[in-house]
Amino acid sequence: MATDPTISLKIRTALGEYLKRDPATILITQHLRDDLGLDSMAVIELLYRIEEAFDLQIPDQDLVGLTNVGHVVSYVEKRLGKTASPAPTKKPAKPSKPKGKKKS
Amino acid sequence: MRARVVVTGLGVVSPIGIGVSDFWKAALAGQSGISAITSFDPFPMDGYRSKVAGQVRDFAVERFLDSVHGERVDRYAQFALVAAKEALADSGLQMAKENPHRVGVIVGAGMGGMVMGEREITQLYQQQKPHRVHPNFIPVITLNSASGIIAMAYGAKGPNLTISTACSSSAHALGQALHCIREGRADVVITVGADASITPLVFAGFCSLRALSSKFNDQPEKASRPFDRLRDGFVMGEGAGTLILESAAHAKKRKARVYAEIAGYAATSEAYHMVIPREDGVEVAHTMRLALADAGVTPAQVDYINAHATSTTIGDAVEARAIRQLFKSRADKIAISATKSLIGHTLGAAGAIGGIASVLALHRGQIHPTANYDDPDPACALAGLSRSAQERRVKVALLNAFGFGSNNAAVVFKYVKRET
Repeated sequence: MATDPTISLKIRTALGEYLKRDPATILITQHLRDDLGLDSMAVIELLYRIEEAFDLQIPDQDLVGLTNVGHVVSYVEKRLGKTASPAPTKKPAKPSKPKGKKKS
Repeated sequence: MRARVVVTGLGVVSPIGIGVSDFWKAALAGQSGISAITSFDPFPMDGYRSKVAGQVRDFAVERFLDSVHGERVDRYAQFALVAAKEALADSGLQMAKENPHRVGVIVGAGMGGMVMGEREITQLYQQQKPHRVHPNFIPVITLNSASGIIAMAYGAKGPNLTISTACSSSAHALGQALHCIREGRADVVITVGADASITPLVFAGFCSLRALSSKFNDQPEKASRPFDRLRDGFVMGEGAGTLILESAAHAKKRKARVYAEIAGYAATSEAYHMVIPREDGVEVAHTMRLALADAGVTPAQVDYINAHATSTTIGDAVEARAIRQLFKSRADKIAISATKSLIGHTLGAAGAIGGIASVLALHRGQIHPTANYDDPDPACALAGLSRSAQERRVKVALLNAFGFGSNNAAVVFKYVKRET
């Protein structure tokens, strides 16, 4: 899975801050609950941080699929309209507003 | 015969010390924990009538707790966790050896999680982004967050309650914990009072009520002066106190050190006014009388009163009047002190911290001074008040606590002979 390193790093950094561990030890394949020990409330808190970091709103119906780190990364990439951007930028480009995504 | 209940552990977070040892040393020295509020970042104090408070300085929860529990809750509940940890360690209680369903938690809290509460409300109104309200907002501001997190931290599965009766909250927590153990519903109750709401909105609210001292903004340590002629309102404080209550039989079985017996409690309402006490003091006297009767002692046996004494003009006069009504000529023979003269009014924590001062008076024969009792107000002069610490054998101590909403509580503690 090709991923944008900036997005991936931001997400792993958010996870690392939350879990108080080195983001480098958090792998893209890890399951949020089974491997990282996040309970359902912790997942909600993580997504809250990710919404902040990427200026996104994640609707309730999208939560279901976000079970491992890779899912979250590719979801954010998709929402930001980018997959595997060649050069990491400091701030993600302003996303084109996805269609049909109204308030959750 | 109903079960006797004793106090076996103490813990405190206060503006004059975190930990009972530091707190008590500072209290006996008459040290003031009142200081200037420099600002409510980002806006200055200019618009506030009162600019002083009893603040717990340099509190960082991670210095005291190594678990994640402290991070999930607001400042008042962090205080509660820290005070509970100290009290449990002090009691020697080992949860692994206890039946967890026989260990309860009862917390008194007046305001609750106002730090996060105010921040989130402000952001919502300013930014108008409902989706940016923090997911922990509701669990944090829910008033039983402290009793919940303490239970989770220690695996206490017994009765778990929060009492919120403004400034008398934790006196009622003590009383309800006493009932709970007396009735056989628990062996141990971790009994806590906690509040931390020196926040822009709450502080402004108390200013608007004209309840806070404003004449001593340049001399913060002089601002809280219960029973003194120059008193002009209370000083907000923050903190937490924890007392481990357990049945005497349970304490004896595990050979616990016993500080004192908690022997009586009364809860009443004046059914009179949201913030003003009845001036004749009749209901306060009645509450004290009921608590003494519950403890099986007479007014003539009381040696010490930890007064509610917030330093308001009316409140102190009413309490002094009530003490005189009930105790008559003995009123001048009873040692009295006002813990709020040292730390300000810690609201929901006041009963628990006053309870700790009462228990230490019984256990150590030491009564802390009433700071700034420089010029006794004839309207509430009581001979047992002193600016100096008193050494005195105390056999019966009475704790008073009154709250907005016309709410009164009194708790009675008794001396317990140390087992050698």
